[in-house]
This record gives sequence, C-alpha cells and structure tokens, in this order.
Amino acid sequence: MNCEEYREAIATDPSFDGGAGHLNECAACQQYRSDMQALDQRISRALAIDVPELQVPELPELSTSKSELSTSKSDNVIALPNRRRQSQAWFAMAATVVVAALLGVRLVGTGIEYDSLADEILAHLDGEPNALRVTDVAITAKRLNAVVPADIALMDHSAGLITYAQTCPIGGRDVPHLVIQGERGPITILLMPEEKISGPQRLSGDNVNGVILPVGNGSIAIVGERDERLDRIEESVLKSVAWST
Amino acid sequence: MHSNKAADARRQRFDRQVGIYHQDMYRYAAWLSRDKTIAEDVVQEALLRAWKSLDALRDDSSAKQWLLTIVRRENARYFERKRLETVDIDNLTASQAALLAEQPDEALDEMRLAIYELEDDYREPLVLQVLMGFSTNEIAEQMGLKQGAVLTRLHRARAKLKDQMARS
Repeated sequence: MNCEEYREAIATDPSFDGGAGHLNECAACQQYRSDMQALDQRISRALAIDVPELQVPELPELSTSKSELSTSKSDNVIALPNRRRQSQAWFAMAATVVVAALLGVRLVGTGIEYDSLADEILAHLDGEPNALRVTDVAITAKRLNAVVPADIALMDHSAGLITYAQTCPIGGRDVPHLVIQGERGPITILLMPEEKISGPQRLSGDNVNGVILPVGNGSIAIVGERDERLDRIEESVLKSVAWST
Repeated sequence: MHSNKAADARRQRFDRQVGIYHQDMYRYAAWLSRDKTIAEDVVQEALLRAWKSLDALRDDSSAKQWLLTIVRRENARYFERKRLETVDIDNLTASQAALLAEQPDEALDEMRLAIYELEDDYREPLVLQVLMGFSTNEIAEQMGLKQGAVLTRLHRARAKLKDQMARS
C-alpha cells in the first residue's frame, strides 16, 4: 500500500485499520490519519443535534380479533345472540371469518384486516421499502430459484432485470416478491399461485399504479411508479412465468 | 384475550424499537431535510407507517436500517408533496436556521454550516456513516448505489469539509 492508496482509504473511512505496514513507516500518513480522525470527530459532534422529546402519533388500532373487528365495523354488523358469542373458541374463529366475509374484509395471517387484496399489496409494499431500490445489480439465479422454487412456478429472466427477491406473506400465504427495474423506477411483481381472482384489478397508491392479473388458478400483481407504462411489462411478466401447480 | 396479548406484544415491540432508534430517525430526517420542523413531520409520518407495517420487519436486528429506510421514503414523499425549492443559505426559515444554531460553539457551528451546505448526494452518505455507523455496503444498499459510488461520495464529502474548515 502506498501513500495515495492509504489516504484514499482513510478519507472514505477514518476508522480504516488496514495498511499498518505502510503507516508504521510513513510519518506523513500518520499525520494525515490523525487529521482525518480529528475531522471526523468534529463532523460527528456537529451532526449530533439535539433531539426533541419523542412524540408518538396516535396509532390506529389494527384489529386482531372478532370483537375489535365487530366494534370497528359495528354500523354494518348485526350482533350475534349472546349465547353464540359465549361459545367455544373454534366457533369464535369461524364467526370471525363469517363476519369478515360479510364485510368483504380480508383477514391475513398477521391478524391485520384489509379491505381488498389490492390494499394488502400496497400495505406490504410500504412495509418493504428496501425492495424499491434503483440499481443495476441483478440477483443471482440461485437466489431467484430459492424464492421461486420449481414447485411453485417456472420463471426466466425475460421480464427484466430482477434486482430483489424475497418470500413474503400475502393473503396468509408465503409468495415470491420480486422487483425488476422499469423505465421510471423499480417495479414490484408478486406471484400468487393460489390467489384466484375473477378479473384484472387496478390498484393505485401513493405515487404508484398497478394491476393484479388473473393467471390460471392464481394471480400476479405488478406495481410500478405512477407514470410507469405497465402494459409491456405485464406482457413480458406473463410470458416469463408459468405455474407449476 | 389471546388477541389482546398479541396486540400488546405488537405495541411493545414497536415501542422498544422506536425507543432505541427515535434519535437516529430524527437526526437522519433533520439532515436529509435540513429543517427541524420538516424533520418532526417526517418522523411522525414514518412512525405511523412503521406501525402499520411492523409485521414486515422480520428480524429486529434489522430495525435500524428498516426505520431509516422508511424515514428516507417519507422525506422523499414530503418533498414530492410540497415541491419545495432548493434551500437558499442566505434566506433560511426559522426552523432551517434552528438546525444551525444549536449550541454556542463557534467551531461546531462552522462545521454544522459546512455540512448543511454540502450537496445532498454527499451529505447523506456522510450522515449514514458517521452518525448511524453504517458500513459502506449498508450505505450503498440504503441509497441504491454501488459501493464504488459511495466511496467516491464519502471521499469528496470529507475533502470538501476539510477545505471549508481550512478556509474558515
């Protein structure tokens, strides 16, 4: 390691502890290191501004039980007779599903309710912001195969540059969550082989637009930036995926 | 009963993570927006969003990066909504100026002003590295950059600050 290389390393990270051999022999770099570490201490102190007391906003209740569900939607629910409410736990669970069905509410594995599959997908995207990175680094084939195993679907890379793959819970099932790079930004693809829908469903959220397409006995959600043209993407995604079941 | 326990556990998990990382969230928001009032708004929105999507956080050891990513997105949303113009250093609002007038320490104030004036592209990786303790790999992931680009930005950021301090 020479002076230039050492200083380059120290300037990008003053805690760099490599290059000991060079450092022991070079007084100028010792001084440079000392200067950069002093600079960083000053930067650190300057950045550590006072923080106001934590004010947690009012957090919305996320219904996790029949009773909460009934309360939150009480305008639309006819109360069950008391006798039934006091019956066994399994019946309570069944009643919850019935109430949810009557309300058109989706109860998922986490216990959170969503009005629709589209709402659940948008909430999921909000919860996984790290997926939506603009990058030109593709995931490996090994990673893709791990997230989209052959017993779920066969998928090739023709849909676009796949930059993210994770197994995620949607509708109470673990499904492949992929991201490809579109013209306007990252595009989310959710492969839901068991989520049957009767026809295409449009969805839109904060600065995003998308569609859930029926595919065989399942569906595929494609969500991109608001001004992303999804029609071509839809075509290439549909061509690149084949359900195995 | 069972659901109440689950709700309580969820709330406790949220409070624990927010308790640990609230300061980081606020400081990150403040240095992204360069405005204390906006930072408070951004953190409030980020807390709400984190609460709604807490179940997406699979591993609490990733909570810091997860929360800061939410702050980053909320900050971007805020500026998209407001379409704020570039900050003019000679014409700061009270809450912008408040970020610079934290302590009666002249040397620190000079550095704070120099950081304030750095371009966003240089300031953000510096904050993530120096204040948040992120590795260059983590910064690259957070900002959607290649590691080489992060190294270049960190190098330039420090060079600019060093020059600025030498002049003052």
